[in-house]
Amino acid sequence: MSTAVKNQLRVCLLSVKYNIMREMVNKVTFLTNISFMILNNASILVQWFILFRLREDVGGYTFREIMMLWGLTAASYGLSHILFARAFSLPELVIKGKLDAYLVQPKNVLISVITSSIRISAIGDLLYGIILMAFCRLGLREWILAALFLVTGTVVFTAFSLLLGSLSFWFLRMDILENQTVMGMVSFATYPDGIFQGLSRFLLYFIIPVGMAVWHPVHVLARFDAGMLLTVLGYTALLAGSSVAVFYRGLKRYASGNLMGART
Amino acid sequence: MRKYRVIYKSVLMENLQYAANVAMGFFSYFVFIYIFVKLWEYMYRMPGERIAGYTKEQMIWYVMMTEMIWFGSNVASVANEVAGDIRSGDIAYRINKPYHYTLYILTKYTGEWSIRLPMYAVFAAVIGMVMVGPLPKFGLREVPVMALCVILGLTINAVFKLCISLFSFWIEDTTPFQWLYDKVILVVGTIFPIEIFPEILQPLFKLTPIYTVCYGPAKLIVDFSPEKCVEILAAQLLYLVGGCGVMLLVYRKGVKKLYVNGG
Amino acid sequence: MQAIKVEHLSKTFRVKRKEKGMKGSIKAILHPQTEEIRAVKDVSFVVEEGEVLAFIGPNGAGKSTTIKMLTGILYPDGGCAKVLGMDPTKKRRQLAYGIGTVFGQKEQLWTHLTPYDNFRFFGAIYDLSEKETEIRIDELSNRFGLGDFINTPVRNLSLGQRIRCEIVASLLHRPKVLFLDEPTIGLDPVVKETVRELIRQMNREEHTTIFLTSHDVGDIEKLCRRIIIVNDGQIVLDDSVEHLKHHYPDHSLEEIITEIYKAKELTAVG
Repeated sequence: MSTAVKNQLRVCLLSVKYNIMREMVNKVTFLTNISFMILNNASILVQWFILFRLREDVGGYTFREIMMLWGLTAASYGLSHILFARAFSLPELVIKGKLDAYLVQPKNVLISVITSSIRISAIGDLLYGIILMAFCRLGLREWILAALFLVTGTVVFTAFSLLLGSLSFWFLRMDILENQTVMGMVSFATYPDGIFQGLSRFLLYFIIPVGMAVWHPVHVLARFDAGMLLTVLGYTALLAGSSVAVFYRGLKRYASGNLMGART
Repeated sequence: MRKYRVIYKSVLMENLQYAANVAMGFFSYFVFIYIFVKLWEYMYRMPGERIAGYTKEQMIWYVMMTEMIWFGSNVASVANEVAGDIRSGDIAYRINKPYHYTLYILTKYTGEWSIRLPMYAVFAAVIGMVMVGPLPKFGLREVPVMALCVILGLTINAVFKLCISLFSFWIEDTTPFQWLYDKVILVVGTIFPIEIFPEILQPLFKLTPIYTVCYGPAKLIVDFSPEKCVEILAAQLLYLVGGCGVMLLVYRKGVKKLYVNGG
Repeated sequence: MQAIKVEHLSKTFRVKRKEKGMKGSIKAILHPQTEEIRAVKDVSFVVEEGEVLAFIGPNGAGKSTTIKMLTGILYPDGGCAKVLGMDPTKKRRQLAYGIGTVFGQKEQLWTHLTPYDNFRFFGAIYDLSEKETEIRIDELSNRFGLGDFINTPVRNLSLGQRIRCEIVASLLHRPKVLFLDEPTIGLDPVVKETVRELIRQMNREEHTTIFLTSHDVGDIEKLCRRIIIVNDGQIVLDDSVEHLKHHYPDHSLEEIITEIYKAKELTAVG
């Protein structure tokens, strides 16, 4: 590993550590936030118990697959909001001209920006995801796959939000669009893909990438399919690449000072 | 009474300006309903099939109505604002005003949902007609009593949430309890009608606020019957009186504590 | 050696113009009208290494825009700038190792952490090893007298203590050029004096080039040997403080600057 990468990593780790320290100032709030998020997620299981009382499968998923779906969604969403929470609120920084501080630092701007905050309840999401996966009785190979999909899911969530958020370099009000779309994505990601058909299914695989973040991974975990695995990996790389490209394109615009609204 | 009307009016005017922001929330509502339409389309396999006594249309309209109530009344005043007032000590300035603090908050809350709820109602009606089609048993004649039932449900909900907030007099952070309360309502009360749960649980649910806050109003809308109507309204009145009693009691105790210990 | 060299630097902002009301909003979508604001027009100057320069002017004169262009935050659209021999737009990250920035009105510290933790973070950002960072923190904290509050969370510090910490944070990596944008804004006179003394000391001992913008004539008088006045995006005066005082023998610096502002405004109107 080159020293530059090592140094960057050191800054990132310190950043995450300091983020957590900030939230731990009030320990009670910190712990209740996490534990209530776990309870919160767990309460939704009631819904699935009921639905599986009515039918053997829901949208082609067994109860175990629903647990995997929830596990992956919660864990990826959680991890992305622990490490890269700012990728989910980028428009605010752009509009208020708060990127300046990162631009005078000799580190990668994108990484510095997205690691600069944390959502504490996300720790609860991550833990809940892992607990659910543990209930799924995965074999060693599945665990390795699940870990891989946790990484790709985290990247897909982060990159998708970053992509939308970066549009705020060009357009106003992107914060609302970003927020709503990401929340919508999470909602879809907690239901089986079998209930969606036709156009909506296509949209949910390729435009709002729920399919790539969790549905394909669950299918691969349930029954291994190399093609699907490669699709997920390829799509993740593509999405990550384009979101980074759009961010830097936007950053150039930021540096040219011709943003709408923002100018100091 | 007049002063509460004035409070109501000014909150209403203030919130009218945020109507556009309210409409932003339609997206989340739509996503949620869309998922449920798809879900129930999958679950109902034969035409005319009934699950727990509900046809597919009724089942979807049920979710749309409970979620309409939920989204339409989802405002911060009864929860965060009260807790914030108490924690920051601002409450000391508020209780010296010549109105009753809890009534002031409830009035404010009413002003807030008076904008949101009708907006959601129209939106729900439109997407319901487009995606599901009309409800067979629905009659316009019953709309006023349905509306009354929804409003009573909202108010009962607010009273309960206010009660929880008032516990901020004793404990530092009541948000976890708000959360828990919301979760129970949301998970048990909005997604499915009570009839779908195992039979041993059903009488239990009828004793919780779920029955009066969301199940009752939604049930009346999707499957109206005069007997049900009387039963639900009676239960709501009972809950409202009881809830207000508890609220006033907690409030009085809290204020007493405030005077003893200072802000 | 030249620390900063600026030649014909220009910056124009295009701002979307919108008429009032709903009608205006619709119009802005259909026929977007942009307005050009020339924030910096053809500015040239040189700052020698070790120099202390005051860059002053009324609000909106183009001071901040210039600093932003010199630090790589904004790209110029005319002319060129070289800081420590590097083009800020092309070598922003490399340049960042050689410069320090303090924006009086924008915090760069993590407010819930102690200054000490903050310094360690900045040490990491500038690739100092743990040991180097410790030594440097010790050194600067002695010099800036941070001993009493180095372990108090920043949000509990007074404004004066906080600005001292801001300056220390920007000095950890021994920058060759320090950009100070309104460093003493909002401080009481005694603290102002301390901050000035520290900046002067930095300049003397570490030979740091100081590029300072301020509204406070006291800052300039106490710190700077040279003064550049900008107005409406252009340099209207570039002279040594000594020379200025010599030229207007019976005036205080404040009076001199006010005179110059007034004179320029008159010529602009006339």
